[in-house]
Amino acid sequence: MQQVQKNIGVNTKNINKYQKQKQLWSFIFLLPWLLGIVFLFGMPLIQSFMYSFFKLTPRVGEIVLEFVGFGNYLFAWNTHVTTVSSFKVELINTVTDVVINLPVLLIFSLFIAVMLNAKFRGRAVVRAIFFIPVILNSAAVATALGGGDIITQILEQQNIGQLFDLEHFLVQTGLDQMIVGFISGLIGRIYDILALAGVPILLFLASIQSVPKHLYEAAKIEGATAYEMFWLITLPNVSPHILTVTVYALVDTFLTSSVSGIISDELNSQQWGLSSAMSWMYVGSILVILLIIFLLAKIFGIGGSHYEN
Amino acid sequence: MKTNLFQTIKAFIEKKKTDIKNTYFTQKLNAKRKRDFQAFFGSFFRYVFLIGLCFVILFPTIQQILQALRAPEDVNNPAVIWIPEIWSLKNLELAVLVLDYKDALINTATISFISMVLQLFSTALAGYAFSRLKNKVTNTLFILVILTIVIPPQALSLSQFLYFRDLQLIGKQTSIYLMNLFGMGIRSGIFIFIFRQFFAGLPKELEESAQIDGAGVFRIFFNVMLPNARGAMVTVGLFSFVWAWNDAYYVKIFEVSTADFPILTMRLLNAAENMYAQLFYTGGLDLVGQDVWENPLFLALISNVAALLMMLPLLIMYLFVQKQFVESIERTGIVG
Repeated sequence: MQQVQKNIGVNTKNINKYQKQKQLWSFIFLLPWLLGIVFLFGMPLIQSFMYSFFKLTPRVGEIVLEFVGFGNYLFAWNTHVTTVSSFKVELINTVTDVVINLPVLLIFSLFIAVMLNAKFRGRAVVRAIFFIPVILNSAAVATALGGGDIITQILEQQNIGQLFDLEHFLVQTGLDQMIVGFISGLIGRIYDILALAGVPILLFLASIQSVPKHLYEAAKIEGATAYEMFWLITLPNVSPHILTVTVYALVDTFLTSSVSGIISDELNSQQWGLSSAMSWMYVGSILVILLIIFLLAKIFGIGGSHYEN
Repeated sequence: MKTNLFQTIKAFIEKKKTDIKNTYFTQKLNAKRKRDFQAFFGSFFRYVFLIGLCFVILFPTIQQILQALRAPEDVNNPAVIWIPEIWSLKNLELAVLVLDYKDALINTATISFISMVLQLFSTALAGYAFSRLKNKVTNTLFILVILTIVIPPQALSLSQFLYFRDLQLIGKQTSIYLMNLFGMGIRSGIFIFIFRQFFAGLPKELEESAQIDGAGVFRIFFNVMLPNARGAMVTVGLFSFVWAWNDAYYVKIFEVSTADFPILTMRLLNAAENMYAQLFYTGGLDLVGQDVWENPLFLALISNVAALLMMLPLLIMYLFVQKQFVESIERTGIVG
């Protein structure tokens, strides 16, 4: 008996020591990240915010700062033009695109994730293929491919442009021109949608797989259909992660949008103050959209897991 | 008469019984048929849909590979649609020249690999601290992780550039390594998120039993938690490697790609912008006739092949790790 108590005594001492250790190690583990967030994130963040109110002119060995107040912001919004478009137009376009496309993207990726999760023959192969666009998603490759136009061009020059001309076919069936345009546009963009949906599908798939299996078993015994199981089990369990996926998709769409390109171009042509102001307007619009999403999520009660704790 | 009535009633009851039995069976049979039909229809629809989408994904790549393998003279040969008439590696040869492939491949692979290791190191540590070594501060700090995901890199690039210039690290790959080491590399925030979620999902008993055996925090992390986190490591590692490979942004800002130290993405971008000059400087023009290189489609084709060459190592690598990758999603529940 004494022996046992002694052992327990040693163990509790160990555990207390462990708790104290944890506090210390928490900071040691975070050290690299903390250094990064202070020096490589925090300081540049504040600095770039400051720059957005200045006109920066590079001189030999130094950069001359000239205070212009909100001049950069006003210039970016009112007068800025590029050869093909302007910052204002592109920003508004991107925001509307995001608002329209985000729900479509979410529903599409959830749908695919549910499908990939089901048991069927050859599932491993299909999954492997579905993540290929994620691997190949590169700005440089996209530029070199010219959006896949080149091959189409080569084929078109040989008068075999499209082996199956969908648009022509649909018009022949007597559909309205506008609907045909919408459908063929959607089909033409299928690859882009798939590429954008890669990571969301992955995240959804993982979250579906973390749903406790016994829920489905119980539902099956009760005689639930696949349809009911989706609405009553899968969706409520996945809903906490919808928010994460939304944030990811939102950031990803903005990063690959033309706004991002304009900012980079201004940066490269040494319009530093302007490009800082632009990036802050970009950050502002993302944050506003995020705020709206969070509010909506709160109102509709999405995001809180009812199984947690 | 009496017996007759009795018999009639008995027969009637028997008939009812079999009727009920029959309707029960037919109902059951119908239900089964219906279910079978639904299951068949469902899986049929699924196969059509998935095969269609897989085709959409694979189609451009297959087309690219076949285009790459046809002879340069056949670029607009109308007789060739899919299978090349004359097989040739000349397009590939030219693309190799344009990309400076051997050096660029080695450099890109080195950068991607070191970035991956550093990123795994910093994000796994941070993710573990955020999930298992919690105190009052960590929850507040985690908001900053979200912020690093949301703020676009462009907003920070100038300050980061000036910062690294003061440290005299511009034009050296060390600048990229430093970013990754300090958890500020490409999408590090998401990796921290994934690791945090993963470690939070590991059973508490693992930690407790190791504690009782007297292991310290570091030993528990290194010897118990990390081996169990293989799924998350594979996922994060793959993404990290791929994104570093495809990255043109940081490479451009820190001016890492130079003539002595070519990087695939930058070579490809330059080639895509001016293929003729690239072919001229690398001596590629001498390999084909004038009638061929004067064709703008041919120049476009070479940049296409170059893009294929850049992706090829990734595709091959993916073929090898694909199984672990897909399985790791199954096992982990890497969700944010």
